[in-house]
Amino acid sequence: MPNRSEIEALVLESVRQLAEDFEINALLTPTADSALYGGAGPLDSMALVNLIADVEEAVSEAFDASIALADEKAMSAKNSPYRNVSSLTEAVVERIAK
Amino acid sequence: MKIIVITGTRKGIGKALAEYYLDAGWQVAGCSRGKSSIQHEAYTHFALDVSDEAAVIKMARTLKKQFGKVDALLNNAGIASMNHALLTPASTVNRILQTNVVGTFLFCREMAKLMRRTKAGRIVNFTTIAHPLNLEGEAIYAASKAAVESLTRILARELAELKITVNAVGPTPVETDLIRGVPADKMAALLARQAIQRIGDVQDVINVVEFFVRPESDFITGQVLYLGGVC
Repeated sequence: MPNRSEIEALVLESVRQLAEDFEINALLTPTADSALYGGAGPLDSMALVNLIADVEEAVSEAFDASIALADEKAMSAKNSPYRNVSSLTEAVVERIAK
Repeated sequence: MKIIVITGTRKGIGKALAEYYLDAGWQVAGCSRGKSSIQHEAYTHFALDVSDEAAVIKMARTLKKQFGKVDALLNNAGIASMNHALLTPASTVNRILQTNVVGTFLFCREMAKLMRRTKAGRIVNFTTIAHPLNLEGEAIYAASKAAVESLTRILARELAELKITVNAVGPTPVETDLIRGVPADKMAALLARQAIQRIGDVQDVINVVEFFVRPESDFITGQVLYLGGVC
């Protein structure tokens, strides 16, 4: 099973690629603290949808694990897994571990 | 090569659609709960229950690895149960909703992810004339398809930005297992409510599906097209 830093690297690369595709300057050099969606996050809902699908695909290719990051509260909750790189990484870690 | 995913390909309309697209040179990925009934080099079969989230995700990942994308999805898999509402057990209700609504949703969700980069995705869902005709004895089946129609219209909006169209076809009764066992007098009464009073043919369904799938239909989304002049 991949460790947390490997998963974080994968999430960061997905965010960086998305930032290039969508021309989101704030995320061109993302870090674990980079905000993604909601609050100060620079992603709109369509960019978020693309990022989630990208991360799911990348996880499948890199770690041969089929996960779904869909979350009942994800689009609205204060503790949404999509709020920053670190929380998204955590969501991936939890789902791979299941 | 174009890739089309068709659910419920073991028999009936789904099998005919798979054979139609294979003949047209598409790569077809089909599924059913059992083994494949189609032998063709361009056909890939997945044995799964369409409402099994993990299985649908796994199928999508396999398609991504094998083909890198999906161009079109036909959500044909469906089950019906004709019975008076007062005689319909909850287990039947759950079974129909799981296959017809949850299954359709899961395939839309997972295959739309694989259509993102084609910028020309096509989803065709399957409804029924039992919904607009409010057919007695089909409360749960018709209700499940009403949900599919609502899903179709809303997904059409949500997926428009990804250049994916989402439409639905509503067949009349077609000679398949789905209507086997419907009494002749019931069938005659049903046909009498259609503007064009004949039983449908698989070719009638293929014609509508092909219309929604073709590249020129990129300005058509969120539409429900009933056969037989039902409205």
